[in-house]
Amino acid sequence: MVDIKQREVTTLIMILVGMAVLSLAVAAWDVVSNGFRAGTDDVFLIIVCLTLALLFAVPPLLWARANGMLKNPFAEEAVAEGGVDMEVAHGEHGGSDRQNVIVWAGLLGLTAFEVLLAYMQVNLTLMLIILMGASIIKAALIIAYFMHLKFERLSLILTIVPTLVVLLCLFAILFPDSFRLHNLRPVEPVQQVEHEG
Amino acid sequence: MGEVRAESLTANDWGGGVHPYRIGHRKLGMWLFIMSDSLTFGALLVAYSYARVASVNWPTPFSFYPSIVFSSVMTLVLLSSSLTMVFAVSASKRGKKGAARKWIMFTMLFGLTFVVLHLFEWKHLIDEGLAPFELPNEWIEKFPGASPLFGSTFFGITGLHMFHVLTGVIYLGVIAARIRKFKDEDVEVSGLYWHFVDLVWMFVFPLVYLLSVDYHGVLGK
Repeated sequence: MVDIKQREVTTLIMILVGMAVLSLAVAAWDVVSNGFRAGTDDVFLIIVCLTLALLFAVPPLLWARANGMLKNPFAEEAVAEGGVDMEVAHGEHGGSDRQNVIVWAGLLGLTAFEVLLAYMQVNLTLMLIILMGASIIKAALIIAYFMHLKFERLSLILTIVPTLVVLLCLFAILFPDSFRLHNLRPVEPVQQVEHEG
Repeated sequence: MGEVRAESLTANDWGGGVHPYRIGHRKLGMWLFIMSDSLTFGALLVAYSYARVASVNWPTPFSFYPSIVFSSVMTLVLLSSSLTMVFAVSASKRGKKGAARKWIMFTMLFGLTFVVLHLFEWKHLIDEGLAPFELPNEWIEKFPGASPLFGSTFFGITGLHMFHVLTGVIYLGVIAARIRKFKDEDVEVSGLYWHFVDLVWMFVFPLVYLLSVDYHGVLGK
């Protein structure tokens, strides 16, 4: 009985490793064959492939760690998490009021930074990247601390987060098409009026 | 809950068993709802970005006052409401139902403040002549070729978000009114919903407002 379960787990882990390698291979193939000629389409395809590879690789890595094949580089952190876990088990959910106030202050700080950035006239693409980066950090803080996901069981985290990331990436893969629409326009786009002063 | 804890101490993360996620069905249900709802907002925001990039020109009409000041204050209010909700959940966990009710009331107050500020902001834009498929005349002059879809994306995204905030206030009102009948988990689940509404605003605020700031003071010149 135990043997069968072990075999099942090993097979599943092997399949996941295969999927991760396949995703990496698609990303590599895209770079080699296309050399970023399709611009943003390539960037999006590669980001999606790399994300998928990472997600497929997480369970095998955890499995390898559990079986002692991989040394945990974050040994101290693991101990700390273990401590939190025990707290959860005793019904005292982790995350003190003080910690939550610090997170709140951090969120306010990031918001202030975003507003400031909107008034520094940086390149629109760069600004979009920084704004989205800051928003993703803010979302992660809210999910981890306020929504308490950091203190939940790993199986719940690994069910929710990868699913959301993959599905949102699938939306994002449509987005580069909007540039194509722009490039196909027959007439020169109207220039935005220049403003003096 | 007794078995959950007993099991949680023995089972490993992928052990499965009766409670594979070590949370109750209500909380799991809320997480699933949140996942589906984030896809709704994700689709809307991608559609907005698509429309914006594919348009010849897109209006950037938000002046520092009132739009950016209002929306920044709204962000502050919403973030603070999340903090008070965290306090409500932790008070309810410690068995202090009265304190939990008080903190939920604060959260609702912040939520209503957000809605009122947002409606002021809407009224200001509607008075200027913005409609779902129509731009004010001044904007058409100052932003030649600007897409009239600005109104529909703006009202669509912020409207759906405001609807979520209002729904959240009603939800919290029900929880606060009958807090002694509800379990801790029910308070926590309502908190999850509230934090999610806050989280969505963290994407709406930069994408809709901060990327449409009128740096040059084009309008009103």
